[in-house]
Amino acid sequence: MINRRAMLQGVLGAGAAGGALLADLNSRAEAQDATPIAVGAALPMSGFAAADGIEFKNGLDLAAEEINAAGGILGRPVEIHVEDTKEMGADIVSQSMQRLIDRYTAPVIINGYNVGTNMIEMDIAADNDVIMMHYNTLISHNEKFKTDPARYYGSFQGDPPEYWYGPGCLNFLKELAAAGSWKAPNKKIAIIPSANEYSIVIANAIRDKAAEYGFEVSLFETVPFPTNQWGPTLAKLRQDPPAAIIVTHFLPQDLAQFMVQFLAQPTDSLIYMQYGPSLPAFREIGGESVNGVIYSTVVGCLPDDFSKPFREAYRAKFGPSSAYITGSQTYDGLWMWATAAAIAGGPGEPFNKEQAQKIAAVMRRNVYRGVNGTYRADPAGQSAYCYPTQVADPSLGMPHQFLQHQDYKTNPKLIAPPLYATDSFVLPPWIKA
Amino acid sequence: MLDILMSVLVAGLTTGALYALATVGLSLVWGSMGMLNMAHAAMLTLGGYAAFTATTTLGLPVFAGFAAAILFGAMAGGLLYVLIVRNLLKNDKATFESNVMIATVGIGIALENTILLTYGGQPLKQPLSVDGILKLGPLNLPYQNIVIILVVVVMMAVIALLLGKTRMGRAIRATAQNRDAAQLMGVAVNRVYFQVLVLSGSLAGICGVMVSSMTQLSPPLGNDPMLKAFIMCVVAGLGNLPGAVAAAFGLALLEAFIQYVAGARWGFPSLLFVVIAVLIWRPSGLFGRTQIRRM
Repeated sequence: MINRRAMLQGVLGAGAAGGALLADLNSRAEAQDATPIAVGAALPMSGFAAADGIEFKNGLDLAAEEINAAGGILGRPVEIHVEDTKEMGADIVSQSMQRLIDRYTAPVIINGYNVGTNMIEMDIAADNDVIMMHYNTLISHNEKFKTDPARYYGSFQGDPPEYWYGPGCLNFLKELAAAGSWKAPNKKIAIIPSANEYSIVIANAIRDKAAEYGFEVSLFETVPFPTNQWGPTLAKLRQDPPAAIIVTHFLPQDLAQFMVQFLAQPTDSLIYMQYGPSLPAFREIGGESVNGVIYSTVVGCLPDDFSKPFREAYRAKFGPSSAYITGSQTYDGLWMWATAAAIAGGPGEPFNKEQAQKIAAVMRRNVYRGVNGTYRADPAGQSAYCYPTQVADPSLGMPHQFLQHQDYKTNPKLIAPPLYATDSFVLPPWIKA
Repeated sequence: MLDILMSVLVAGLTTGALYALATVGLSLVWGSMGMLNMAHAAMLTLGGYAAFTATTTLGLPVFAGFAAAILFGAMAGGLLYVLIVRNLLKNDKATFESNVMIATVGIGIALENTILLTYGGQPLKQPLSVDGILKLGPLNLPYQNIVIILVVVVMMAVIALLLGKTRMGRAIRATAQNRDAAQLMGVAVNRVYFQVLVLSGSLAGICGVMVSSMTQLSPPLGNDPMLKAFIMCVVAGLGNLPGAVAAAFGLALLEAFIQYVAGARWGFPSLLFVVIAVLIWRPSGLFGRTQIRRM
C-alpha cells in the first residue's frame, strides 16, 4: 500500500536533485516539528502478570525521559501510551495494539511479554505498517516470520527465543560436571514445565537434547499455570531423586513456594529454574530457602559497569524493590527503536510502509549494545542471537546468563557464560558434599 | 513409600482445609440469600493484605494482623450489604439473583484493582506464616500446614456452633429455609442478610491470610480459591454447608492423589469432570435436595 506522502516522495525522488532535496526538506521539517511521537505499549498492567507489566512500563518511562532529555527523535519528544492487556490472549492483545494505533497514531509498539497471543502482534504490526518490538521470548516468532518475511518486516523480538534455554541449560550442567564443581549422583534429570507455550518449548528442547549431553529424563511432569501446591510433584521427585531438577515454570512466587516445600525433605539434586528467580519477589517470598538455586535468562540487565547508571536511575525513580531486570527489556527496546528512527530520518506514522521499512532496515543492520547485552537481529527469524549456544562471539549475541542465589539477602551472582561471569558456582546447601 | 503417600495426604488435607474455608463463606451467602457473591475472591484478597499491612507497615503483633483480616473482611461484607445488596433487594425479587451476581462481579473487579493500585503488582510475602518442620519418624510436616488445618477445624466448629446453638444462627437457618415464612414469624430478614455477609466477609478475611501464608500476596490471590469453592458448592449442593465442607476435603484429596498418580496437570480437569458427572446424575448436588435450600 502506498499513501500520498510516499507517492510525493517518490515523485520528488525521480528528479535530478530530488534525493538530496528530499533529504534536506525532510531533515528541516523534522527539526522544526515538535509534535510528540506516540510510543504504544500493550502491557499486562493488571491480572497475574501485572508485576512484570508495571516494570515494563517503568522501563519505557525511564527510556522516554532520557531520550527526551537528549532532544527526542530529531527534535520531537516521545510520549508513552499504555493499553492494559489484563489476562492477555490473542483477542485482548490485538485489540489493545489496534487501539494504540487508532487513537494515538503510534508508529511503534514496544511490548514486554504477552502470553497466549499466538504471535498475533506480528499481524497487527504488518496490517498497520508499524514497528513492533516485544519480549515474548518465543520461537514461534521466528517460525511466523519465516512464513512471510516481506509481510512481517516490522516485527522484532528483542531477545533470543526460548528454545535456546534448552541446549544452553544442558551445556551448562555438562560443563559444571566436567569442571568438577558438581558431582552428579546419577545421569537423571527431572523436567517440570507448566502449561504454557514458553515453558513447554523449553522443556521439550531440554528433553529432546538431553541424550546428546549425556543425561536421561527420569520425570517430565507438566503442572498447571499458575501453580503453588507442589506436594504431589515433590512426592514423585523424592521417589526417584534425579541429579538435577529443571523447573521451566517461571512465576517467581510459585518457584519460591517450590523451594520452601522442597526443603521440607530435600534430595541431592541441583535445582535450575526459569526466569522467576531473577525477580525480587522470589527472594522475598522464599527467604533463606532460595539459597543455592540456579536460574538463567536470555534477557536481563547485566550486573556490569555499563548498566550501572541505568540500575541506579531505575531504583532511584521506581523504588528499592523495583525489578530493573524486567524494566531493562523495554528500556533497551525503546532506545534501540529511537536510535534507528533517528538514523532513518524520522518515526513515520501508521501505514507509512516506506518509512517503517527504512527503520526496520536500520534495526536489522545495527548491532546495539544495551543494558541487557548485545542485540543483533538473526535475519532468519528477526530475534536476537544467543551467546554462547548460537554464536561464539560475545559481541554478536545476547548473553544467556546463568545466575545463582548464594545469599538471599544480596543480589544473585552471575556464574556463566564465560567473559560475563563475575562469580563461581557454589554447591547448594541442601546437597551433601 | 508410606512417607510419600503421607506427604500427598498432607498436601491434600491442607488444600482441602483452604478450599473448605473458602467454600463455607461462599456457601453461607448462597444458601441463606440465594446470592452468588462474585466479590468473595476480592474480599479474600483484602483480608490477606489487611493482615500484611497491620503486621508489616504498622508493626503490630501477629494476632492483631489476624484480627485486622477478620475486621476488614467483615467491613467489606457489611459495606457490600449496605451499598449494594440492600438496594437490590428492594427491586423485583425474581431478578435479584442475577442482578446481585453482576453487581458483585463489578465490585470484585474494582476491589482487586484498588488493591493493585495501592500495593502494586509484585507478589509479597505474607508475614503471618510459620516456618519450620515437625519430624515424625519418616514424615516431615511443615508447621504451616498444621496451623492451616487446625485453624480451619476451629473455624468450622465455631461456625457450626454459631449456626446450631445461637439465636442468630437459628434466624439465619430460618431465613435460608423460607424467607417469607421467617419474616412472618418475626425474623428481621434484612438484619439476617447483613449478619450473613459480615460473617462471610470475616471468613473470607481468614481464608485470605491462610491462602497467602501458603502462597503469596498478589491482587488475583482470591481467584483460584473462589473458583475451587464454586466447584465444591456445586458438587455438594447449593447452600449445603456440611456437604460443602465434605466436598472440599474429598475433592482436594482426590485432586492430590490424581496429581500424584496421573500427573499434576490432571488435577483440575478431574475436578471439572466430577462437576459434570454430578450435574448429570445428581443435578442438585451430592448432598442437596431439589428446590430446598438447607444450611
